[in-house]
Amino acid sequence: MPVDYATLTLGQEISNQTYRLDADTVAAYVDAVGDRSGIFDVDADLSVAPPMSVAALSLRGLVHDLDVPQGTLHAGQELEFTGAVRVGDTLTCRATVLRNSVRGEWRHMVVGLAVEDGARRQVMRGKSTMVFPA
Amino acid sequence: MREGDALPTVERYVTQARIDKYAEASGDFNPIHVDADFAAASQFASTIAHGMMVAATISEVMSAAFQIDWVERGHLKLRFKAPVFPGDTVTAFGSIKSIRERDGMSEVVCSVGVRRQDGQAAITGEASVLVAQSG
Repeated sequence: MPVDYATLTLGQEISNQTYRLDADTVAAYVDAVGDRSGIFDVDADLSVAPPMSVAALSLRGLVHDLDVPQGTLHAGQELEFTGAVRVGDTLTCRATVLRNSVRGEWRHMVVGLAVEDGARRQVMRGKSTMVFPA
Repeated sequence: MREGDALPTVERYVTQARIDKYAEASGDFNPIHVDADFAAASQFASTIAHGMMVAATISEVMSAAFQIDWVERGHLKLRFKAPVFPGDTVTAFGSIKSIRERDGMSEVVCSVGVRRQDGQAAITGEASVLVAQSG
């Protein structure tokens, strides 16, 4: 059923997904972005995942559960990384509505992101600003 | 490390193949990124790269400069200013704006951004990281 964006209220949880950030997922991410910083070696024991791969995972659930309209523009992004994520860890990604308004023909939505690792330790939080036709 | 110091730059050539890979890796198949016909009818007249794919170059700059401190105690605030198209070459850059003490650590605040080969700013923003004080 399509999401009625006008009915989404501040503080409403719009996504709550759990993912395993396995080596294949991280390797695909590193390959896609071409990261050459050299600190993300997925073959190393207890390798650390790139923080932006965690951010990408947190947005995956949002894009899916919010059923983001075609042509949506990503206008802004704020991220705070609060702990390293190990490859293989299981992450819980939540998204809540922080702002939902219409200006002219466009809806502006700010969504809060929060990610916890398998030990329920917060490893990332952030805010995404999206704009799409109202 | 001093105020005014430049951070290492990261240059990346953007291709549709890379955008498609990012769509697979992120699960974001918004047609503005992956559907040439849909994108041709958009205001951009072309597919565009995911903002977060381009933003990853800024994180790479910060990772190269601050290593694990960036991963554990980094903060990033970005505005996506202009689209990046397949065929563009982007350069991510940064410089240290200020260094101040916070919570027994040094908070390093950096101006960061990504520009296209035509000089257009694709992303502007600020990144900060808490690092252990040396000495």
